[in-house]
Amino acid sequence: MFELLGDGLLNVLQLKYFVPLAIGTLVGVVGGALPGITITMTVIMVLPFTFGLEPLQGLAAMIGVYVGGESGGLITATLIGIPGKPSSISTTFDGFPMTRKGEPGRAVWLGIWASFFGGLLGGVFLIGATGWLADIALQFGPWEFFALFIFALSMVAGLTEESLAKGLLAGALGLIITTFGSDPIMSVPRFTMGSQFLVGGFPFLPVLIGIFAFAQLMTDIERARSLAVGDASAKQMISLAVSQTRVVGEILSRPFLLLWSTFIGILIGVLPAIGGSAASVMAYDQAKKLSRHPERFGTGTPEGIIASEASNNANVGGSLVTIMAFGIPGDAVTAVMLGAMTIHGIQSGPLFMSQETTLAYGIFAAYLLAHPIMLAIMAIGARWFLLIVTIPKSVLIPVVLVLCVVGAYALNNTIDSVWVLALFGLVGYGLVKLGFPLAPLILGLILGDQIEVNLVRALMTDSDLWLFVTRPISALLLALSVLSVAIALWQRRRPARGATEPDVDF
Amino acid sequence: MLRLRERLGRDAVAGLVGLVVSVWLFALTWGMPKSPFVPIGPDFYPRIVLAVTALLSLWLIATDLTTRRRRPPGDVVARNYGLVALTFLAFGLYVLALPGLGFRIATLLFVAGLQVLLDPPRTWPRRLTVAAVALVVSFGVFPVFERYLSVLLPRGTWTGF
Repeated sequence: MFELLGDGLLNVLQLKYFVPLAIGTLVGVVGGALPGITITMTVIMVLPFTFGLEPLQGLAAMIGVYVGGESGGLITATLIGIPGKPSSISTTFDGFPMTRKGEPGRAVWLGIWASFFGGLLGGVFLIGATGWLADIALQFGPWEFFALFIFALSMVAGLTEESLAKGLLAGALGLIITTFGSDPIMSVPRFTMGSQFLVGGFPFLPVLIGIFAFAQLMTDIERARSLAVGDASAKQMISLAVSQTRVVGEILSRPFLLLWSTFIGILIGVLPAIGGSAASVMAYDQAKKLSRHPERFGTGTPEGIIASEASNNANVGGSLVTIMAFGIPGDAVTAVMLGAMTIHGIQSGPLFMSQETTLAYGIFAAYLLAHPIMLAIMAIGARWFLLIVTIPKSVLIPVVLVLCVVGAYALNNTIDSVWVLALFGLVGYGLVKLGFPLAPLILGLILGDQIEVNLVRALMTDSDLWLFVTRPISALLLALSVLSVAIALWQRRRPARGATEPDVDF
Repeated sequence: MLRLRERLGRDAVAGLVGLVVSVWLFALTWGMPKSPFVPIGPDFYPRIVLAVTALLSLWLIATDLTTRRRRPPGDVVARNYGLVALTFLAFGLYVLALPGLGFRIATLLFVAGLQVLLDPPRTWPRRLTVAAVALVVSFGVFPVFERYLSVLLPRGTWTGF
């Protein structure tokens, strides 16, 4: 394993891989720092640039975006109190008060170093656990895979805030979208409405980009007042000078906090389609509960910043484990990466580690190297990135939409894909306005084909339906699915809340 | 009838749409060809999913009808849905114009137009920014994708450009 990792590191240190990784990390930091532009949006914007690259070059760029983005959000969160992305929200709670106390350098660098350590610990888990989990997944038959995908879907639907019915319905809608086009067993066209284009089904990436990009951008446009100008408070230059030894010492003198926050980040990352915002909020909450001075939280305590940032960067490692071992994306960013892998003809899942060993260790290496690159980028330009906030959204939105069009068009050089993008843009925005969560929809969209293939394969191998509940792993996973729905139902027995519109979290 | 309409909330409407679409697609599965060699036809899986969707839609409708809705205390954020509709329209026109005008001209018009739509420029520096951004995104991006990233963007059938 160490030899393969060494080879992977040497491989990625070659300029042709290192340059996309470094550029991706820089773009990620910038995207992460921009309030309203999430990491998913940044990855979507980078996607068309990766089509012409080798698979590892493209994936290195995306991993760079992912790692850089998770760290970039802390700059605005700590310095001006505006989280650059949802997973930086809990960094704001203590980062901004610390800045207001006159310690902006300490606040920013506590976040950067916590991201660095949390991310690297997540990397250790990524490297150690992926192969092991993939080996377990290799023992799975179609019954177990079917049950695993149903479990993932039910859990994500059950975790949605507003309504279990809406969560499940969103997941089912994702599954329906995958039934358009040729069926995966006999290639019989389904629901094509006479369109030759639909015989191939809805292309995954334009659907994904349409749903995410439009849902977010149009939600921004609704609040038209915020489009004209960026944040004026970001124009002032703040000195971030601080003793790095002292900051690192502050983090390493709290090993339990660092490890526990990292563990939460990894755990949330491994669970499908949940994402870094849940990880950072949970880690912050845990840090507060386990602290001897919970009253200090929210006033500029270093523990709050460390917990939030260590967990959201560790979350990246966890998400990558799930996609590489099971082929299930840990969140929306890895969903886009999964689409990019498919474009390059790479199938993620249990066989990925054995069939694409060089690529797998290249991904590990890119992930590890992205952290020192992120550190260097922050050291050079942290305070300059604050100026990015001054770019008005009226400039950003058209540029992002054009890159979405390029990403959709370049998939198969047809304008039909761009129409799919527009159609699902409308669908995504409509669903957000109706209060439907997007995470189960995306997961359903990703897993739909696999659920069908494994269900049909299981029934064609043996028509006995009882096998789904008599095979132990399948039974366990299906029981967990029922349990997750039951828990969600039980939690929602509280009085129904008013029909207010929830904020969109990507 | 009036009382039912008063009771129908956002979720019930969404559920009704889900139910209608599920039933319609379910009906379409009857026409799918089957193979005598494969016991499970192409209609098998969609029917399961659509049946589940229909049931979930009914659940959503029932929940909405049986839940007493409280009016939100007032929308604190002013929503500009007109601007959203205009943005969708601009995007639709952009996609429509892409094959005819080509990427460069269509993108130039779209990026400049949408910037003006979202935040009308009132000063000369701002107008210059709008023009510069539109030029860079249209004419600057095209050669980068075509020459260095092997991504071919559409050329106009009307303009040949």
